[in-house]
Amino acid sequence: MRTNQENLIRYKDGNLYCELADIWIDPSKPVKRAIITHAHFDHFTFGCEEYISTKETAILLKERVGDNIKIKTFDYGEEFKISGINISFHPSGHILGSSQIRFIFAEEKWLISGDFKLQKDKTCKQYEIVKTDYLISECTFGLPIFKWDETNKIANDISKWVTNSPEKTSLLFCYSLGKAQRLLNEISQTNFKGNIYSHGSIYKMNNCYKELGIDIKDTTKIENKIKIDELKGSLILLPPSLSKGSYLKNFKNIQTAFASGWMSIRALRKRSGYDKGFIISDHADWDGILEVVKKSEAKNIYFHHGDSEALSKYLVEKESINVLLFGK
Amino acid sequence: MSLKKFSELFGDLDSINSTNNKIEVLKHYFLSNDPIDNSWAIYLLTGKSNKRFISGRYLKNLFSQIYVYPQWLIDTCYLKVGDSAEVITLLLKNKTNSRKKKLSNISLNELLSETIPALSKLNEEEKNLEIKNLWETLPEDNHLIFNKILTGTFRVGVSIGLITKSISKLINIEEEIISHRLMGDFKPSIDSYEFLINKNINLQELNSKPFPFLLANTIEDKIFKNSINEFQFEWKYDGIRMQLIKRSGNVSLWTRGQELVNQSFPELVEKMSHIKDDCVLDGELLVWNFKEQIAFDFSLLQKRINRKSPTRSIQIKYPIIFIAYDLLEINGRDIREIKLENRRIELEKYFSKWQIKTENNISDIFKICDLIFPKDWPDALTYKEKSRENNTEGLIIKKKTSIYSSGRKKGIWWKYKVDPMQLDAVLIYAKGGSGRRAGLYTDYSFALWKDKELIKFASAYSGLTNIEIKELDKWIRKNTIEKFGPVRSLKPEMVFEISFEKIQISKRHKSGIAVRFPRITKWRKDKKINDADSLENAYELMKKIS
Repeated sequence: MRTNQENLIRYKDGNLYCELADIWIDPSKPVKRAIITHAHFDHFTFGCEEYISTKETAILLKERVGDNIKIKTFDYGEEFKISGINISFHPSGHILGSSQIRFIFAEEKWLISGDFKLQKDKTCKQYEIVKTDYLISECTFGLPIFKWDETNKIANDISKWVTNSPEKTSLLFCYSLGKAQRLLNEISQTNFKGNIYSHGSIYKMNNCYKELGIDIKDTTKIENKIKIDELKGSLILLPPSLSKGSYLKNFKNIQTAFASGWMSIRALRKRSGYDKGFIISDHADWDGILEVVKKSEAKNIYFHHGDSEALSKYLVEKESINVLLFGK
Repeated sequence: MSLKKFSELFGDLDSINSTNNKIEVLKHYFLSNDPIDNSWAIYLLTGKSNKRFISGRYLKNLFSQIYVYPQWLIDTCYLKVGDSAEVITLLLKNKTNSRKKKLSNISLNELLSETIPALSKLNEEEKNLEIKNLWETLPEDNHLIFNKILTGTFRVGVSIGLITKSISKLINIEEEIISHRLMGDFKPSIDSYEFLINKNINLQELNSKPFPFLLANTIEDKIFKNSINEFQFEWKYDGIRMQLIKRSGNVSLWTRGQELVNQSFPELVEKMSHIKDDCVLDGELLVWNFKEQIAFDFSLLQKRINRKSPTRSIQIKYPIIFIAYDLLEINGRDIREIKLENRRIELEKYFSKWQIKTENNISDIFKICDLIFPKDWPDALTYKEKSRENNTEGLIIKKKTSIYSSGRKKGIWWKYKVDPMQLDAVLIYAKGGSGRRAGLYTDYSFALWKDKELIKFASAYSGLTNIEIKELDKWIRKNTIEKFGPVRSLKPEMVFEISFEKIQISKRHKSGIAVRFPRITKWRKDKKINDADSLENAYELMKKIS
């Protein structure tokens, strides 16, 4: 058996690395060549000489960090070669432009799942089942206590939450790229009639999505000139980073909520300090991860980004699937 | 009315932080539901029912058995969630697609008065089948409530005070009256609810009302400029502050938290009902060491507080005493406007009268507080330092000419507390918390040096802010040496200032010492582990105290 070191893709300095192609996947420090699964900042770092991503990811990244980066882009499914390795992007259903990345070398297939979800999301391409020999999967929500409800139910809950408190300003905290646009798209399918405002960071992403042809409900950018009283009864989308501290003083008579998969757990919700939690995630739940593992037909699995102990043990015991550990 | 409404109420109360909004939600619930369901809701929300029908472990085993689910996986989930009822609720979500049965729409009343009590009449096999059946027929939204009631862990962030307030607002009647009505054996029924919302107040209810408590302020330096003779000195006991009210023959015991606690201390109520005068006394309830005439630790009192209707043997094991500080009303006459020194004279007068005239001897459960007479301020300080010897927290200093007003009024009463004892110790173990702190490492063990070894000397849970807890949790995960189940041994690196109230020799601990109420008072990021205290320092501290 070969060692981890000899694998096509391995862990090096805390990042996924393909030595043959000298390519790093979502590296956390500047490298020569980085391939990026999606445009969230925990998957991107400044200062790499060259980036490779899907077209949408490139556009979103440039919008967020400026034009001053060198990105090579490819379509979903389009194969390209680096050092004799065939590489291709495939939709991962996480956010607009997000992808799984497949590496094929000497008839051996490796698939990096990236962040993914199976649930329907009209703001990005549906997760594509990709067959592989080796699967490197995220497992952010790798416990069976995580089970997502239908998105339209959550959207209706949010609509009710706002409508039932007409005297309040409802602040909904959510990630500014992906989650916010998905929520807006879903809310527009409900009978919510109120005004919706977006924080600048979200507003910018909304426009970007619209330019890329995604249907996003129009919102008003939240600005200083808006009078506090005008906001009564309306819904305001804000990034989670503003939930603590003085920013909230800009509003009065508020109720707050956080839209995240972590809100499944009552103790976490209580501790987070938000009044309410809406359980909606752009990651796969337990069943989602199991489905991907099975349908990928991978014989060997690695997990990263999450607590993988229980998931690994479950797959080995119940499904007889070989789960491997990275020699970090 | 369906159980769904109550589940919604639970969800609302759980997700609202503002007290006023909670009151509104409760009012709305009471207005829109049947009296019998309201009655059960109050019963549950006030924590009157915490009967455990099955244990959390049983619930988890049952789920594992029914759905052929690995026990270890349930246990792993439990570590993350911290509550058995909630874990099973979340796991059930994953099982609901297998259900085909018609959903039931039972009411809170049916669930609590029929369905659940019926379970305990079944044998184990029938019981398991019935719980499975209920899981599959109850709407998903009701699983949490159901599982929590089953395991006796139904709790929500609502105090009795809040329920009292909502009912008080609902019918426009003072809170004290509602408190009185909620006291005692609240049996859920239509009658008990109608009694609760009755707008006519009877005389007995009026008679039980306490006065607002007068509270002491922390000592200020300027007091030392005054003559010591202007003040009355008392020990500051570490018990439950209380008003003992006897009017028209009825005794009521009110805590400072506006709780009526007659049921917890029936022997006091019984004894005081024999005295011949009506009165309102302000004082402290303690578990008392009659042999040495000092208070026992507060921890013993805790064994009494939460126990409604204590048995005779509990009453003997933890003997209580009411120490009166003050007389506020005598035979219907409100004397709060009289000067403290004169109220004291009245108090002493009546106390001796009761001692002589009361048929049963009252001094085995009632006394008035002894006064201390320091000759000057340095002498007062000496008394204060001695307060640990008789298990008090320091001194209470009261202006002799003061009247009994309400609240924390300035310049009348002061508390002069002993400083806590402190040692700097090294964090060596951490354990996961439960409930609200689930998934975080929040239970810590600390060590002191003995030669070149770190010896565990105390565990503490409280004192860090939420932000510090999160920061420390991160550090713990990165600096674990070994895992033993939920406990991690840690790289010795972090130093904390640990404060405690008492230090004594203990053969049960490896360190040879035991401390009382250890708590974290500072994260000493400025200190290296070599700066931490040694066991020798601890022994010195002990010597200095005794």
